[in-house]
Amino acid sequence: MHNVLVTGGSRGIGLAIATRLAGAGYNVIAVARRETEELAAAVRASEKRLHFRACDLAVIDAIPAFAKLVRDEFGAIYGLVNNAGLGTEGLLATMHNSEIEALVQLNVLSPIILTKYIARHMMADGAGRIINISSIIASTGYNGLSVYGATKAAATGFTRSLAREVGKLGITVNAIAPGFIDTELTHNLSDEGRKRIAGRSALRRLPDTEDVARMVEYLLGEGGRNVTGTVFTIDAGNTA
Amino acid sequence: MSVRLKVTEAIKQIAKEQHVTLPELTDGLSLHETGFDSLAFAILVARLEDELGVDPFTISEDAAFPATVGDFVRAYENVPA
Repeated sequence: MHNVLVTGGSRGIGLAIATRLAGAGYNVIAVARRETEELAAAVRASEKRLHFRACDLAVIDAIPAFAKLVRDEFGAIYGLVNNAGLGTEGLLATMHNSEIEALVQLNVLSPIILTKYIARHMMADGAGRIINISSIIASTGYNGLSVYGATKAAATGFTRSLAREVGKLGITVNAIAPGFIDTELTHNLSDEGRKRIAGRSALRRLPDTEDVARMVEYLLGEGGRNVTGTVFTIDAGNTA
Repeated sequence: MSVRLKVTEAIKQIAKEQHVTLPELTDGLSLHETGFDSLAFAILVARLEDELGVDPFTISEDAAFPATVGDFVRAYENVPA
């Protein structure tokens, strides 16, 4: 069965993706710094289709060895879902430089380096699917999310050019841009703010983690065969 | 099989897959003249990592890729154990 690596797989969108893919018959390796209760429960319920492997992706120098370790243990990696990320909010003028750096490092540098080490084996194998989790903030604006928005725009730019680079080897590269979804990453948003965003959305509601997980499943499956270099917005019509 | 032989075998195998006609592989041959494009080199480095268990270009602090076939082979031969 195809191996799929899901970063940030212990919580939120990543956990929903990992759980759904394991249920769909993929062999899923969920990567995070620590295993959460929720992920441990999903691993137990998965009949050995879902595995947790610890890696702090912010430590760039550890990524090549981690990629090798996963490949040595599980074999060829068919799918890579770059989902891990920080959602640090802050006005640019007052954000600490270390916060800005950490955000760019984990949201931009880490997935690019991890993709390098996973993708070149996909190239040697002649098949693979890469999915980068971006955000609608990559193409729209939101107060207090300028650095986060920059990192998510980086994800879509990376997606398009990499799709060109690896397409002739049968590898697809796509991005998903979710709108506001209730996870720990967006816990700072007040109930009122949440209602306001839902009210401004065409469908008058917020999307949930499962919607993103279904799109990932589609892109990994037969349906995604001829889809590459594009961005899928899942925002219940918030930016429509 | 020696490291040198493994490297040259991998080059020949990928040339076949990528429909590249290789000139004779001598140490002095520039990598540009092999007919390999950057994708073929990426595949080569990935295959050799599987086969030899090392990627000398990640370990190395020197960001430059070797210039000749000889330099490329030596990068694999001289990996610290």
